[in-house]
Amino acid sequence: MRSHETKLKRRDLLKLSAAGLVSGVSVPWFESLAGKAVGQPRKKSCILLWMDGGPSQQHTFDPKPKGEFSPKPTSVPGIHIVEHLPQLAQSMEDLVLVRSMTTEINGHYDAKYFLHTGYKRTTAFEHPSVGCIASSQVSHAGDEMPAFVTIDAGFDRNDGGRLYRNVPGYLGPSHAPLLVNDPNEGLENLASTGSNVEARLKLLARSEDRFAKQFATPVVGAKQAAFNRAVRLMRSRRSKAFDVDEEPESLRQAYGKHKFGRSCLLARRLIEAGVSFVEVVHRGWDDHAGAAKPIAYRAPWMDAGMATLIADLKVRGMLDDTLVIWMGEFGRTPGDGNGHFSKAWSTMWAGGGLKTGQVIGKTSEGKNAGSEIAERPVTSPDFIATLCLALGMDTHKEFMAPGNRPMPMVDKVAKPITEMLG
Amino acid sequence: MTAIRSTGYVVLVAFGLSTGSSATVAGAEESLLERDVLPILTKNCLGCHGGLKQEGGLDLRTMPSMLKGGESGPAIEKGHADRSELWKQIASDNMPSGDDREKLSAIDKGKIKAWIDAGMPTVSERQKDVDTLLSGPKRHEPKQVAEAVDQHIGGFLEAAGLKSVGLSDDAAFLRRVSLDLSGRVPTAEEAAKYLDDKDPDRRAKLIDSLLARPDFGRQFGRTWRDWICPPELPSGGNAGSQPYGQARALGDWIGKKLTEGGSWAEIAREILTVKGEIKKNPQVIFYALVGKNGKTTADGTSRAVASLFMGVQLQCARCHDDPYRDWSQREHWGLAAFFGRSQGDFNKIEVGKGASKKPGEISIPGSAFKNSGQTVKAAFLRGAEYEVKGTDDLRPPFADWLTARNNPFFARSLVNRVWFYLFARGIVNPIDDFRDLNPPSHPGLIKMLAGEFVASDFDVKHLFRCLCNSQAYQRTSRFAPGADQQARSALTTAFGRMPMRLMAADVLFDSLKRAYGDEKLDLRTGVTDSTVGMAAPVGDAWLEFQRRFGINENDATDFTHGVAQMLTMINHPRLQQRSKALDAFQKTAPDAGVDRTVEWLYLSTLSRRPGPEEASEAREFVEGAKDVNKAYDGVLWMLVNRSEFLLIR
Repeated sequence: MRSHETKLKRRDLLKLSAAGLVSGVSVPWFESLAGKAVGQPRKKSCILLWMDGGPSQQHTFDPKPKGEFSPKPTSVPGIHIVEHLPQLAQSMEDLVLVRSMTTEINGHYDAKYFLHTGYKRTTAFEHPSVGCIASSQVSHAGDEMPAFVTIDAGFDRNDGGRLYRNVPGYLGPSHAPLLVNDPNEGLENLASTGSNVEARLKLLARSEDRFAKQFATPVVGAKQAAFNRAVRLMRSRRSKAFDVDEEPESLRQAYGKHKFGRSCLLARRLIEAGVSFVEVVHRGWDDHAGAAKPIAYRAPWMDAGMATLIADLKVRGMLDDTLVIWMGEFGRTPGDGNGHFSKAWSTMWAGGGLKTGQVIGKTSEGKNAGSEIAERPVTSPDFIATLCLALGMDTHKEFMAPGNRPMPMVDKVAKPITEMLG
Repeated sequence: MTAIRSTGYVVLVAFGLSTGSSATVAGAEESLLERDVLPILTKNCLGCHGGLKQEGGLDLRTMPSMLKGGESGPAIEKGHADRSELWKQIASDNMPSGDDREKLSAIDKGKIKAWIDAGMPTVSERQKDVDTLLSGPKRHEPKQVAEAVDQHIGGFLEAAGLKSVGLSDDAAFLRRVSLDLSGRVPTAEEAAKYLDDKDPDRRAKLIDSLLARPDFGRQFGRTWRDWICPPELPSGGNAGSQPYGQARALGDWIGKKLTEGGSWAEIAREILTVKGEIKKNPQVIFYALVGKNGKTTADGTSRAVASLFMGVQLQCARCHDDPYRDWSQREHWGLAAFFGRSQGDFNKIEVGKGASKKPGEISIPGSAFKNSGQTVKAAFLRGAEYEVKGTDDLRPPFADWLTARNNPFFARSLVNRVWFYLFARGIVNPIDDFRDLNPPSHPGLIKMLAGEFVASDFDVKHLFRCLCNSQAYQRTSRFAPGADQQARSALTTAFGRMPMRLMAADVLFDSLKRAYGDEKLDLRTGVTDSTVGMAAPVGDAWLEFQRRFGINENDATDFTHGVAQMLTMINHPRLQQRSKALDAFQKTAPDAGVDRTVEWLYLSTLSRRPGPEEASEAREFVEGAKDVNKAYDGVLWMLVNRSEFLLIR
């Protein structure tokens, strides 16, 4: 089943007009970008929603009849998710559920590394994360906006092991992400607090020009380029994208007051302004004392943030170009969700021109339901390959790792999930 | 004629032809026949132009047969890829022929072209026996060694047809040597004093005075700390749980030892044979830093000791023989076996337990791809097996072997690291990858310096004194006008010009502290509730700065800072506020006018006085401002945001 067209359902319209979004908002908030969108096709972008610690699949997108959370029908006949996510259930025609992730690693950090890079961690060198790869392959080169931004959406509890840090490795430091530590605060040091910044920049520019002539070397060029990128971003009207307070109150309400919803809203603004890859990290999903209670508590803001994000992207005509993925580093043991479980777990995908409204793979039913993959296993390299292909990258491309060792973008063993690619 | 010792292509024989007249340059950009070119030819060409078939009469197995060529004439014209048939065929993807054959990648093509253009250099000619200019068991005067360094480098430059640039001016030298030997910019007063010194021997005296300060030990210690424990260590086994406080203490400990006159051999021995509690022995943390998940591991130690103290890379040989570097898996585990009977964590090292069931034996674990379960006996790298003689802790005999005067690895490894630290590239690169097929760019030079280092009883200060007194170290980083890009890069890699480097995080932080007269300088932002934020714990001003302003540990000429770092420099409120050092200066010189104050600001940041244009621009800026003191803050802000401030020229 495909729902490629961005035609709005009546339901979406109602929801969004209640949020004050529809009136006049088929135009993106930043008008010159709208001009750009008409002039040239947008490249694909991605919003990765990372639930750090490992969210339970049975308490979200792969509920079982005898499980703790009841399966509830969605807007696509035959597909059920938990009853705690009613708004997402109504967006099912825009979603793909991959219920057959099987990724070998049950330790937090190594699993985070594996699911961000498609490679297992070795002692030899660091592999670049998929966000850095996207920055190097599908970003708008020379743009005022950064290619890759990560947003810290806060935490419920302080566990789930050490956080993964996106590393560009052999792609080079220019593909490292820009960090937003708090979606409500925006980007640190973006605005000048001192007086007279333009006069100071002018004074600096004169000596920098002379220095570049005297010492014409790559390192000076690179410093001046990085400095100029920072100044361009400061001066850019598009850098207002970092400020979620510019959005109407009603829409902020729809996304939710929680930092996660704020992060989803910020992610949309950034993608709209030209950022290629945004990773939102929410921490504390390592539910060793049972997943039911904490997920029941988190579900409302997660549901509101994600469902509004998908609807909002759709209204703006951005959903087909923007891939949204919800995931963690692994799932949790079937039943109560106490333990780490990499053998059979779920990720949720939306938009990005995928063939949505379907489920990929299946976990076992009956006794010990969910303890095995029943159909179509998806490994970490398969997952990364699918993500890269959905963003339009050439997954066979080779990079040069330290020691003159050619490394393909995606491990050669990967078999992408072609049945969900548009 | 030299047979090449290697696993992949022993049938191939390279002839050590003399170097061609065109520029042969050492370095990463350089292509060498056996290391870079033969593997490409073997994979792509020899099927049809090798031992089995010689299509078109062409045989690409040896240098003479390449030069002879086939039916259509010579395949290669030395020094001119664009006139060589081989290159034309490869560049146009005409070869390898056939639609189903994979063509050469851009990188492989680049290597072949660079190799032909450079006159077809070979590893074997690099490995020719070389005379070192100084030798013998006694240490030499630093000036003598410095001269010998320059002769080695001069000989290489001459052979390559390159002309070195001149010496740097006094201001550039002062700033460079101060940053390298004391880890921060000199104060305005120190800078003025040196710049006004007319003593012809002032450079040597400056080097002596810098080496005599505890700052030298401190800077050397923290350089080692970063080598052992890079501020960002995402791939390390301890990812995230890095005990930075303890790592800092280890760096301080190394610095203190050095300041007290300890030799490198003593320091290495005290690190490697440490036991007991960290409270009394800060070096305890070394083992946990190179281990996994906060615990020591025999194999992690083996790799770290190989890289840090021996200059070889064993990481691939953990799981399988490394055909590329020619290290066997048995060699990796044979070294690990020395560390199998000691175990520890962030707090202590205990002897008598660990991965080895019996002293001197270790079993390859299940996590290795190959040979897991096999038992390997302790053996010195490229040496004999060690016979266990009634002792449980094999680390002392290992340290004896490592720090012996005739150990082939120890001295050259430190020399190469120090050279790398001062010149931004090693004589061998990567700095921990000494092996036959990765020869030094200046074999005689490294041999001589390693010999001198042994002769001086591993005296680190002596080594620094020798190198800093050389002309090579004192050259300018400016190019002569007119040189093209290729010649510039050749000159830099041949040490005929000093490259510009990015300041390490510690050095930049300390230099900013000095410029702002504020030892408690804190460039963190207001977001404080994210104590385990995505980047890391934002606990401490120093740590946060280290993480954000880290440099490429493999290449200091790489500008690694991005938009986030530049925004900090441009907009962080602290960098737009008052310098306490400037306040102090204004108190001591209350009637200093604009010119003198501006000069003082230049001296305290760039270690030089402003040029005429700079002085008049600054004067105009200050005089045009409503608030003179705010304008001085603006001039200071401008100075620390200059490329010249962030870089070591």
